[in-house]
Amino acid sequence: MISVKHISKQFGVCEALKNISFEIPSGEIVGFLGQNGAGKTTLMRILTAYLPPSSGEAFICGENILSHPVGIRRKIGYLPENPPLYSTMTVKNYLRFAARLKDVSVKYEKAQVDHVLSECHLLEVKDHLIATLSKGYKQRVGIAQAIIHEPEVIILDEPTNGLDPVQIQHVRQLIRRLESKRTVIISTHILSEIEQLAQRVLILKKGEIVADNAIEQIVVSDEKKQLFVTVKGKEEMIEQAVKEANDVKQINIKFLEDDLFEVHLENTNNVSHYNQMIQSFLKYQVKIVSMREKKNSLEEAFLKIHK
Amino acid sequence: MKKIFAIAQKELSVYFRSPIAYVVLIVTIVIFNVFFFAIIDNNEEATLRDIFKVMEFLFVFIIPILTMKVFSEEKQMGTMEFLMTTPTQNNEIVLGKYLGVLLFFSFLIILTIPYYGIIEFFSRPDRMAILTGYIGIWLEGAFFISIGLMVSSWTKSQIVAAILSYLFLFLVYFSSLADKYTNGVVKAIVKYSNVMTHSENFIVGILSSSDLIYFFSGILFCLVMTRISIDTKIWDNV
Ligand SMILES: Nc1ncnc2c1ncn2[C@@H]1O[C@H](COP(=O)(O)OP(=O)(O)O)[C@@H](O)[C@H]1O
Ligand SMILES: [Mg+2]
Repeated sequence: MISVKHISKQFGVCEALKNISFEIPSGEIVGFLGQNGAGKTTLMRILTAYLPPSSGEAFICGENILSHPVGIRRKIGYLPENPPLYSTMTVKNYLRFAARLKDVSVKYEKAQVDHVLSECHLLEVKDHLIATLSKGYKQRVGIAQAIIHEPEVIILDEPTNGLDPVQIQHVRQLIRRLESKRTVIISTHILSEIEQLAQRVLILKKGEIVADNAIEQIVVSDEKKQLFVTVKGKEEMIEQAVKEANDVKQINIKFLEDDLFEVHLENTNNVSHYNQMIQSFLKYQVKIVSMREKKNSLEEAFLKIHK
Repeated sequence: MKKIFAIAQKELSVYFRSPIAYVVLIVTIVIFNVFFFAIIDNNEEATLRDIFKVMEFLFVFIIPILTMKVFSEEKQMGTMEFLMTTPTQNNEIVLGKYLGVLLFFSFLIILTIPYYGIIEFFSRPDRMAILTGYIGIWLEGAFFISIGLMVSSWTKSQIVAAILSYLFLFLVYFSSLADKYTNGVVKAIVKYSNVMTHSENFIVGILSSSDLIYFFSGILFCLVMTRISIDTKIWDNV
């Protein structure tokens, strides 16, 4: 679907992208994650044929971006970092204008405008001037123009940047609802964003891809699972029980009250589902009160990469 | 073609939603009115000759105001990125915007037709000279607009666009003042490049191909330059 081969981009002496390569299959939701200045916007601008790369090639649906810019843009819906809106136009007129520029046939223009108005929950403001809208609404108008021509690929540059939590929730729901057959690329410098929306993350750092993984992979891969078990029993018995379970390693036992302890365990074997440990607790007549697994968040993985 | 009209239409609707359009319209008509009656008062000659002169003088000052934001504002607002990432050719963007300003300008000219009516009513004007005069000042305005468009495509700043447009328009309009101080080839070049050398002929009723070529090639040159600056996103690189 999207294939990027050895793309580099220089702005004068500044190397914004260094030899970037990746593939995105159809239907995938991918996040570009990176701090400000990492090159996310530049990469997106190259994919939308707005900026030419200094070297390298990119293909969308098998077509070279440089040789078919107009055809490519018909397949892409793009929301730039700042929603590109005309403040003196009404929402509806703006979307109509966008539909015309994006080759939506006159016959479907009205239907398509109505469709995105309702899909992006803009019906109640459709006759308002864009200048009068709140930031959250403006962002949704931006997304509406991006999807009005039913593109196969949707590219959203920091779609929730600068919104308040409620607005962020709205925009996220909207992105999740975008039909699953579409390929979606979202950039952000906020980790939780990616965790909630994307299936895969490309982490950019100073113009280079430092990680390219499925979200679960990044979260799970290099860390062992941590387990906190609250148990009731004698301390020696608990220690004995943990010793006998081969899959887990005891990190710490914390005294809570009376005969309640919290055992902090580390899973040494990713496939294990702690059966051994549970059986061993039962054998030593240790009662399990509660169990909680602490997942490594993407955040920890991210911080590690950026160390 | 459809997109050229869509952009032109958008351009017009943006004009009429901003105070600029109304200020320009009102100021033009008021100034025009004053001059019109002043000229009619002490000149019995029944042509619009002096009126056309006043109009072209006004255009030098008004057109940069109309064109300064055409591209600058889009770049400032980030909508240029929107336009350029839709499946629209850069040619269509340039022509759409040009057409938009041209239509607004034509509207301004149409507003002066009642004055022609007054003259027609009171005397027997030289109709041919009036027709060619209208063609001449329309072409002149179209040329000025293409200069303004080109300048606006160079920069993100409306102020810079306006100042540079004034600079260029003053050059092509007032360069006749240099006539006295030059000679030989330079004199000829200055004379040919001066816009009044050509508009004058239209105003007195002469329609010559050399004047038409001057305006058409000037317009074409500016539009091609505009297209090139959009292709290269020159405003990002300077
Ligand atoms: N038009 C430009 N001219 C010069 N440098 C640029 C331009 N656009 C981006 N850069 C530089 O390229 C780098 C990457 O920027 P950008 O792609 O905007 O990063 P991000 O979107 O991840 O914050 C930054 O160092 C930035 O200063
Ligand atoms: Mg960015």
